[in-house]
Amino acid sequence: MPPPGGYETLKYKRNLPFRGPGGAVMVAGVAAVCAFGFWRLGLGNIEKRELKRENIWSRIYLTPMLLAEGDRDAYRRQQAALAREKEIMKDVKGWEAGRSVYHGDRHKPDQRIVLL
Amino acid sequence: MSSYVTPDRSAAPYVDPTPEATQPHVPEVGATSAPLKSAAFFIGAYCKEYNDDFMLCKAENRNPEHCLKEGRRVTRCAIDLIEKLRENCATEFQRHWECLDFRNQEYYRCRKEERLLNGCAFDKLGLTKKIPGTSPGKTPIHEVPNPIYRNVQK
Repeated sequence: MPPPGGYETLKYKRNLPFRGPGGAVMVAGVAAVCAFGFWRLGLGNIEKRELKRENIWSRIYLTPMLLAEGDRDAYRRQQAALAREKEIMKDVKGWEAGRSVYHGDRHKPDQRIVLL
Repeated sequence: MSSYVTPDRSAAPYVDPTPEATQPHVPEVGATSAPLKSAAFFIGAYCKEYNDDFMLCKAENRNPEHCLKEGRRVTRCAIDLIEKLRENCATEFQRHWECLDFRNQEYYRCRKEERLLNGCAFDKLGLTKKIPGTSPGKTPIHEVPNPIYRNVQK
């Protein structure tokens, strides 16, 4: 027999609490984060290129100075080597000290330096 | 046969046996890489004529003997500029090149010091840092207020 007042109503309603944003929102969110990241990456790449260029130009501006300094040293060594060669080969007839082994007047830097 | 001994290993003090060339003596710049890098754009601006002249001469003939005179001018000009920087902007210059020395010689990690130096060089010497080839209308990289690449270390 039913109890007085009847049975309790059956609890059959679904209980599904809100568990965060839906799939579409997630996908959109990830896409937004990625888009922002790639945009920053692009900006960073442009900036990196500019930094590289800045560095290269600093080298270009220093080149003449460094080259001039190196040239003086190379010239000094060249002259000394020539003097040594003249001294060593002074008894050899027909020897021309410092003559290039190549034809043509394009300058070729010395392949070897004598370090004494 | 003579074998090469590095100067720091040899018992006797190292004497360069090659004589001074028969050329007018010119003092060398004698700055290390960091001060040179710090001053590079000012050298480019201040010594433009001498540098261009020297490089055109080098383009004519690569023989080191060919451009000694122009080369001496280039060196004198660079020395002159570095001396001027040290006279007028000593602290700024020193702080910038020490920063470069400490930060792997990367400009982007020393922008704060660089701006001080650039300001001083412009006020006292009238020299500006200019990177050729920056697209017109764009802020040159050393003046970007909020760059992406910046120094992250203390």
